[in-house]
Amino acid sequence: MATRKKVFYILLILSPLAFIFLSLFVGRYPLSISSIVNILICKITANPCNLPDQYNSIVWEIRMPRAILGALVGGALAISGASFQGLFRNPLVSSGLLGVSSGAGFGAALAILLFSSTSYTYVFAFFFGGLAVLASYLIGRTYNTTPAIMLVLGGVIVSSVFSALISFAKYVADPYNQLPTIVYWLMGSLATARYHDIVIGGIPMAAGISGLIAIRWRINVLSMGDKEARSLGIDTVVNKGIVIACATLATAGAVCVSGIIGWVGLVMPHIGRMLVGNDNKVLIPASLSLGACFLIFVDNLGRLITGSEIPLGILTALVGGPFFVYLLKKTKGGGW
Amino acid sequence: MLEVIDASFSYERMDVFKNINFRVNEGEIFCIVGPNGCGKTTLLDCLLGILRLKRGEILLNKRNIKTTSPGETAKQLAYVPQLHEKTFPYSVIDIVLMGRAAHIGLFSAPSSRDVAVAEEALELVGLTSFKDRPYTQLSGGEAQLVLLARALAQKTKMIIMDEPTAHLDFKNELTVLETIVQLVSKTGLSIIMATHFPNHAFYFENNSIDISVALMSRMTFSAVGSPSEILSEDNLKSIYSINAKVVSHRMDNDSELRQIIPISTVA
Repeated sequence: MATRKKVFYILLILSPLAFIFLSLFVGRYPLSISSIVNILICKITANPCNLPDQYNSIVWEIRMPRAILGALVGGALAISGASFQGLFRNPLVSSGLLGVSSGAGFGAALAILLFSSTSYTYVFAFFFGGLAVLASYLIGRTYNTTPAIMLVLGGVIVSSVFSALISFAKYVADPYNQLPTIVYWLMGSLATARYHDIVIGGIPMAAGISGLIAIRWRINVLSMGDKEARSLGIDTVVNKGIVIACATLATAGAVCVSGIIGWVGLVMPHIGRMLVGNDNKVLIPASLSLGACFLIFVDNLGRLITGSEIPLGILTALVGGPFFVYLLKKTKGGGW
Repeated sequence: MLEVIDASFSYERMDVFKNINFRVNEGEIFCIVGPNGCGKTTLLDCLLGILRLKRGEILLNKRNIKTTSPGETAKQLAYVPQLHEKTFPYSVIDIVLMGRAAHIGLFSAPSSRDVAVAEEALELVGLTSFKDRPYTQLSGGEAQLVLLARALAQKTKMIIMDEPTAHLDFKNELTVLETIVQLVSKTGLSIIMATHFPNHAFYFENNSIDISVALMSRMTFSAVGSPSEILSEDNLKSIYSINAKVVSHRMDNDSELRQIIPISTVA
């Protein structure tokens, strides 16, 4: 039992690393396997390579950061989704439940309208994503408690307000220049990923992910509902606050560097449930790992299929949907 | 152990109960009986510290519940809810382990010691073989026993139960009652329970458990005492507005089991 557990956790850590490694070999630019291996060996041994600099930068400056960012974003979305499903006692919610995605979408659209530099997009997306969740939380807070149904209602209201604002931003945007940028951003992409994206988005994502991993077992208790969780000895307001704050940090960090990528936060936790069960102690890390692998996989697919990259938001659903149905049929849903 | 002094509660402008006084000692069952909507569950929520009294005090081991944190309360007082809506198909052992929450740090998970405590609790309710079954696939009686095991895993000296046998068939009902009798007589546990079945009080009395019954009606306790003296035909008529007979059956061991037979509503 103990060794099985160890193997499982090692697998969880190794799989995303394997996906990152393998994705270095995938791309439109034809690089032979041997030259990629050479480039990697040169870097590790710190020797100069006798290959074109261009090759080196394709592997290290383009493919590598893109794969790492994909892993972070996929993992962050999936782990937040899994946490929210437990917290809200509802298997149908995703990381965007409290409006973080639509808030971030509006922030990005606003930044695209106001400034020509893309660096504001990050800041605005992150800020408005957080603001949206805060608004949902304040709407959902009655007296001193935060009942799940009120929070969900708050999320629905805030999401629809920000969706309307996104539409408004599209409506007033310059249709030749700004509008396509907004639309493309909203569909999600990792195409422009560089190391600085990893730094900017990675800090909140890493913070949120670590927080959720640390508190993961308590999500089991919170999923029993406020009254029972409290009688089991948990301060529900504090614990819910921590989970919501961490999930928001992780999701906002992801959205601000990748745009809106749906589906991962809803479906990866479910695939996790089918594979490892519902105990959040195991499910939360499993979702993280699955989300990371899935997004790298879909991103690689996206850049292989056509010359002009298909946005991620489209592909996650197209690939994830059939895969989900397959698993559902195979595991018979796992006890629902 | 638990002392309630002049307790009153109201929602906004609607009074729910007032001037309630009682105390529950070690190894005692305290049964709260009363018609639908008389405020039993609200009173239990106050005892658990989930709702705050409007007036009066609740002392748990001499300490005011108002100033006790949820974690501290949960180490002294466990709660078995009515059958609740099940969401995720957790395994039975995962459910029981949640009883350890008050003993586990904010950022930790159950240790092997916690697992041992949970397994022991499952054994006490006789469900060891159910450990890995999905909780959502249990019958009502089994699920109720699992929730009882979860409360036992909290390792408290007192458990509050809200209608522990609601929705159960005869056998499951008796299983729950027998388990309660076992626990109280063996471990000196105290139990406060709200119930719609005053006959349970007779059942406990017949099993020579130290039991008090409180009749709750018209926003307060109208009578408190032993089942035989309190659950009389007159009292039942007054709080439930029914005509009832209290009959007595001589058991094989020569003890007498009393039972209430409801006959008709009072016009």
